[in-house]
Amino acid sequence: MKPSTILRSLLAAVALAAPLGALAADVTLLNVSYDPTRELYVDFNKSFADYWKKKTGDNVTVKQSHGGAGKQARAVIDGLEADVVTLTLAYDIDAIHEKAKLIPKDWQKRLPHNSSPYTSTIVLLVRKGNPKGIKDWNDLIKPGVGVITPNPKTSGGARWNYLAAYAYALKQNGNDDAKAKEFVQKLYKNVLVLDSGARGSTTTFVERGIGDVFISWENEAFLALKELGPDKFEIVVPSVSILAEPPVTIVDKVVDKRKTRAVAQAYLEYLYSDEGQEIAGKNYYRPIKPEIAAKYEKQFPKVNLITIDEIFGGWQKAQKTHFADGGVFDQIYAK
Amino acid sequence: MQFRKKLITSLIIGSGVVTTHGTAFANDNTELEQLRALVQELDQKIRVLDRKQEIATEEAAAKKKETPVVKASEKGFSLESADGKNVIKLRGLLQADHRHYSEGSNDVRNRSRVRAGELDQNGFADSGDTSLLRRVRPTIEGKVLDKYAFRFTPEFAGGSASAVDAYVDANLDPAFNLRAGKFKSFVGLERLQSGGDIKFIERSYVTNAILPNRDLGLAVYGSLLGSKLDYAFGVVNGVADGGNISTGAEFNDEREYTARLFTTPFKDQDSALAGLGFGIGATWTDFRGEQNLNWTDTSSADPTRNGLPSYVSEGQNTFFRYGANAIANGERFRWSPQANYYNGSFGLLAEYARVDQDVSLTERNPGGTTTQVQLNDLAGTKKKLSHDAWEVAASWLLTGEDASFKGVKPKRDFDLDNGGWGAWELVGRYSRIDLDEDTFKNRLGQYAGENRTAPNTINSAYADATLSAEAAKTWTLGVNWYLNQNAKIALNYLHTSFDGGDIVDGQTTVDAAGNRIKDRPDEEAVFARFQVAF
Repeated sequence: MKPSTILRSLLAAVALAAPLGALAADVTLLNVSYDPTRELYVDFNKSFADYWKKKTGDNVTVKQSHGGAGKQARAVIDGLEADVVTLTLAYDIDAIHEKAKLIPKDWQKRLPHNSSPYTSTIVLLVRKGNPKGIKDWNDLIKPGVGVITPNPKTSGGARWNYLAAYAYALKQNGNDDAKAKEFVQKLYKNVLVLDSGARGSTTTFVERGIGDVFISWENEAFLALKELGPDKFEIVVPSVSILAEPPVTIVDKVVDKRKTRAVAQAYLEYLYSDEGQEIAGKNYYRPIKPEIAAKYEKQFPKVNLITIDEIFGGWQKAQKTHFADGGVFDQIYAK
Repeated sequence: MQFRKKLITSLIIGSGVVTTHGTAFANDNTELEQLRALVQELDQKIRVLDRKQEIATEEAAAKKKETPVVKASEKGFSLESADGKNVIKLRGLLQADHRHYSEGSNDVRNRSRVRAGELDQNGFADSGDTSLLRRVRPTIEGKVLDKYAFRFTPEFAGGSASAVDAYVDANLDPAFNLRAGKFKSFVGLERLQSGGDIKFIERSYVTNAILPNRDLGLAVYGSLLGSKLDYAFGVVNGVADGGNISTGAEFNDEREYTARLFTTPFKDQDSALAGLGFGIGATWTDFRGEQNLNWTDTSSADPTRNGLPSYVSEGQNTFFRYGANAIANGERFRWSPQANYYNGSFGLLAEYARVDQDVSLTERNPGGTTTQVQLNDLAGTKKKLSHDAWEVAASWLLTGEDASFKGVKPKRDFDLDNGGWGAWELVGRYSRIDLDEDTFKNRLGQYAGENRTAPNTINSAYADATLSAEAAKTWTLGVNWYLNQNAKIALNYLHTSFDGGDIVDGQTTVDAAGNRIKDRPDEEAVFARFQVAF
């Protein structure tokens, strides 16, 4: 055999052996998320780890941090090194850009559907048999009705709740802000406990048995029914609710420092894949991919949804008007 | 009739009973519903209160994790982050001393006569009683990110401010730490004892004469074998014996290397030897000093620039000084075996130090001025001079506290109202320094003076035995009263005798055989100190 042939065979053998000899890398990501997504990301992280292992051979472990969305955003701004954030509303992620410059200003354009891989809405969870006869938002201001909802100053979900109630009041009163303000004031007077996050409110209503109606994330309401049985609670779909679009993004400065950009990007893109959308649907989040959404259509009640843009002019304006210090919420809610 | 009566009665009674039962039943139901509603309302209220308490507890626990902690105690004042990883501390040491001399004198040859007052023909002035602030040292120290520490200690005693300690540490592991800046050299045992914890008012000859004080550079140090073996290696600018480096630029380009090993092999054992520690420290350098050209004017002279030390007695009087044209020229090697032992109230510290120093005599080049000088070594004058010192110091806590290398915490603070007398300690030390007799001899082996008036004399000695003593031996006895962990009063009696250092009456110079040398008068002093440290 010619020496050149021997050499070529040796080179080929080395090339084939190289992948076998290469060591699998261990990667860790931190996903800082809002309160109710715990079950979603338990399922999703497992699925993504399997997918990434098959694709690259690397082992990825995703650590989760959950809490009120406002608090979570502040934690990231203050130095918590999140590779990705999956929060309740765009305003909180905008703050990560404005206050810490950890992400670019146009972060929301980087992933499809304004970086929201799933949507949700706000419903009313009541005790089985609906003893207080809750049918719509206006029943929540009646005397003797105990309402559970988290604190909009700390919880992103709570801000959706507040805005959904306010939007209802605007519609009922010909867009009269004064009357809407009066309505939410009466509503918050009936709030028995103001938790810092949505999961805390779920605990208060479901486990502690406090209150007659829980203004809840749709997924939390379904979870309560699933975990504790449909013989304990009922879902009441209000006449109008708000389209919640929880967005996601990588945190650029962190992933570049930790050299995890590629896997973090893939992690978020996986939310948009068929598998990711299925997991969202199974966990009672409304998929955005039409074919998967159609599959879960019957699971979700039909709701007349309004958007934050059409009623409130967007999150920046809504935050400034209602939730900033001295805003409408501070004016109507006495501690 | 009776039947009718019975029937009517029955009807009346029956209708009455039926009517009463129905109303009562209806009333009972209403009351029950009201009670039920009340119970439910109260149940909700109790649940709400419980839940609010639960939330408040969770929030308090979460807040505690973020809240900085402010501490003020006998250990100083500090502010630290909730996780303890970032700390800043303010500590301090203040020592007010009084020195009384029954006998003793100070070599002030480097001072002008007008400034120093009355001098004898050799330039010596009697020691005068004085009160002084010995140490005025606030300390700012702390750490960031748990592993990076810093310390800054200025000194305000002595009439001017200077930096005593100024360094940063990287505490990467108990076995491996880096220090950079100005710090105590990791060499001598007594030196490493804090100025607030030393048992005597002044340290011994080992520490103040031979071994370095503070230096500028870099050190690696750590503890191994379960903290039973401490090591340290340093690369520093280098200072003269007993010297404290300034924070300015170094005047030669040679580094000094330091090393120390110290072991406490029986530590944590239930043994009489548990308090035993021993080790060895050393330094080495090779450098050439500059001649101190303007030695008569202290405002411009820098005595350290010749690289050679002067030595003070434990009464803080100068008793040895190299000649004006002596210069460090070559290797300087110091080594110091050291040990301490603590058992109950008894403490013992013993240390030896030796310095081997290459020296030469120099001359000004012919025609040179004070500002343009070339220092030429005088041929045949290079010599290795070896000086050594040692000490043995013992202490005994009369009030039963445990002795240690660090300070004393009284079992009962001084408090007359509660019958507390603080902690009382007796201390005693013998310390001596012996200089190489070749220091006082010229290249011909003859005793000679340093020849201040004609410095280019090749047959000068390195020091004059009629002006500088060849040995100093000091007994110190003392008592320490620890009022509490922070305040201490100390009293020391010192007696020092010298070999040489004076000239026989009627003579003006030493003869070649050294016959005209006599011993310098003894020094006898009582020192007192009031100290506050936190």
